[in-house]
Amino acid sequence: MGHAVASVTTRAIDADFALIGHQESWQAAADVLAVLRGPERTPLPDGEIKDILPWIPPRAVCHVDIESIVRTKNGGAKAHGLYIDSFIPPDRLEAAYVHENIARVRAAAASAIQAGAKIVGLGGFSSILIEGNFDQLPERHGTVFTTGNTLTVAFIVQGIQKMCALEGRDISRSTLLIVGATGDVGSGCARCLAPLVRRVLLSARNAERLRRLAAELEADGVQVEIATDLQRFSAEADVVICAASLASPSLLLGRIAPYAIVCDAGYPKNLSPTAEMPDAKVFFGGLGQITGGMRFTPNFHGVLNRHPFPDVVHGCLLEGMALALEHRFEPFSQGRGFITQERVEKIETIAARHGIYLAPLYNADGPVEDGTSLPHGMIEGSIFRLKEKRPCAQM
Amino acid sequence: MEPLIGVNCSAIECTSLSTSAPIWQDILAQAMTGELLAAMNYASLSEICEDPAEVADALEHSECERGHAAAFAAEGRKIGVEVCNNVDAKHWKRLREAFLRCVTERDFIGCLIVQEIMLESFAVASYSRVGKVGPGSLGATFARIAAEEGEHVDHAMSILRAERARNAQRFDDKVYRLHLDVMTTLAQMLAKECKDGHCEVCHASCVKPSLSEVSLSAAELRGASLQQYLKTLDMLGIPGEVTLRWVTQLPV
Repeated sequence: MGHAVASVTTRAIDADFALIGHQESWQAAADVLAVLRGPERTPLPDGEIKDILPWIPPRAVCHVDIESIVRTKNGGAKAHGLYIDSFIPPDRLEAAYVHENIARVRAAAASAIQAGAKIVGLGGFSSILIEGNFDQLPERHGTVFTTGNTLTVAFIVQGIQKMCALEGRDISRSTLLIVGATGDVGSGCARCLAPLVRRVLLSARNAERLRRLAAELEADGVQVEIATDLQRFSAEADVVICAASLASPSLLLGRIAPYAIVCDAGYPKNLSPTAEMPDAKVFFGGLGQITGGMRFTPNFHGVLNRHPFPDVVHGCLLEGMALALEHRFEPFSQGRGFITQERVEKIETIAARHGIYLAPLYNADGPVEDGTSLPHGMIEGSIFRLKEKRPCAQM
Repeated sequence: MEPLIGVNCSAIECTSLSTSAPIWQDILAQAMTGELLAAMNYASLSEICEDPAEVADALEHSECERGHAAAFAAEGRKIGVEVCNNVDAKHWKRLREAFLRCVTERDFIGCLIVQEIMLESFAVASYSRVGKVGPGSLGATFARIAAEEGEHVDHAMSILRAERARNAQRFDDKVYRLHLDVMTTLAQMLAKECKDGHCEVCHASCVKPSLSEVSLSAAELRGASLQQYLKTLDMLGIPGEVTLRWVTQLPV
C-alpha cells in the first residue's frame, strides 16, 4: 500500500531520569492497577490481577516530577522522570525465574532508553538482577544506569546511627551483624560501619565471598568473624542489618539479643512476619525523603511510595534522582563490591544538597519516631560529618 | 451485513476423532470466523483505496485470509469435525460494524488500526499459543498462520508510523477512539467466562472451561493477546504509560 513512510522519532519524552521498579506484593500490584483503571471502575478481582499482571510488558506507569531545595530564578531546581514498572509478578522473584526477570528488567531498561532518560535508577530486585550483568542491558544511546546502592548504604548507615542515638546506645561499643554481607549493599555497609563498632560479624551464603570481604576488612585493621549459617550470630549482635537478597520476607533470625537494633534493608523485606524478636528495635532501612517535593502524574502518591511519611523513596531510586538534580548523569553505582566510605560520603553530599535526607524511621507497626526531631547531638544528612544544614522550611 | 463467505476446501480424509476434537472444533470455528471477517474487511477496504496498488494489496490480503479460513476448515476435517463459522455472531458482528464505520468514513488509517493493530494482535497472539499446543498439522497450521498474520502487521506498521509522525496527538486520539469501540468487544470475547450468554460460534456450550484439556486457558489467550496489542502499540510509538491505562480499563 503506497503511503509514504516518514522517519519516526524514537526518543519521545527526553526524561532527566527513569526509575525501574516492581511491586513487592499482590496488594501493591492491585493498588497500581486500581489507579490506572480510575475511580469510576470497580477494582479488578484478585484472581484477574494474578492472571493479567504477568502478561503486562515492562513500561512507564507514570511521570515523576521532583524539586530540589536549591533555588533558581524559577524556584527550586526541578527534574522530570518516569517510573517504569518491570511488572515482575510478586510471586516470581525466586531464582527459578531469574532469566525471565532479567529479560523484564532489560525491557524496562529499553523503555527508559526509548524515553530518552539521561540516568536510570534500578530499584530493589532490579539492581540485584543486573548489578553483575550490566553488559546485559540494551545499547544505551547516552543513557546511564545506576543501581543506587551507594545512597542506599548511606541511608542504612545513617539509620543505624540515628536509631543508636534514639536508643541512647554508644555505637562504638556495639557488636554489628550484617546478614547478606557479601552483596553490594551488605559489603558497603560493612566497609562504612566496621571501623565504627567494637565487633563485626558477617553472614552470607557464599563462603568464598565472605572470606574475601573479611580479608579486605582485616587488611584495614578490623577483626571480623564470618558464618554461612545466617542464624549463627543472631544472639550475639546488638546491631543487626538484614541485607540479604531474598524473594520474600522469610528470614528468621532465631534468638535475637534483647533490645537489639535491627535494620531490615531488603527489598522485598528480609524479615519474616512470623519472626519473633521481642524487645528488638526494628526499622526499615535504606529509605530517604525528598524534602523539595515529588509529584506523580497520574497521582500514585501512597501507592508507589507506601510509607507512613510523605515523599519517602528507597535510596536506590533516590540516587538517580539526586544525580539528575545535580546534572551529574554518571553511572555512580555499578557492579558489586565497589561501595566505599568515600563514595558514600560523596553521594550523601549530593543528595543533601538537594534536600534528600534520611527518611524518618518506621517499621511494620508504624513510625518509630515522629519524624520532626532528632536527638541532641545527632548529625543530620551525613554519616561521618556535617556537610549540609537541613533547611527547616522544607518538611 | 454482507453474506457469509463460502470456503472452498478440498476434501481431506478424516484421520482421527479424539476426545478433544469438540474443543478443537470450537477453537477452529473461532479462528475461521475471524479469518473470514478479516477477508471481508480487506475486501471492504479495497473499495476505499485510491491507489490501484493499494486496491491490489487489499484484495490480495483478503484472498490470503480466505485461504487461512480454508486451512482451518481443512484441519477440522482431518480430526473428523465440521468447522462452522458465523461472522454474524454477536461479538464478531460488532467488530465488523466497527470496521465498516471506518469504511463509511473512508478512513483508510482507521481501517488499518482496527484490522492490523487490534484484530491481528489478537490473531497473532492466540494462534501462536494454539500453535504451541495443537497436535500435529493442526498446531503447525496455527503457527504458520500466526507468522503470516505477523507479516501483515509489519506491512501496515510503516504506514501507521508515518501517519503518526504527521500528527501524533491526532493519531493517538483516533487509536483511542477505536480502542474503546473494538478492544472493548475483544475484551468481552477474551474474558475468562462468557458472562453475557453464548457467543454464537461455539457449537455447544462455551469452550472456555474446557480449554485446559488441550493445555490452553482463556486467561492465557487473553493475556497473550493484550500483551501483543501493547507491544504493537509500542512499535507505533504511543507512550507506554498511556496504552497501559487503556488496557487496564478494559472490561474483564
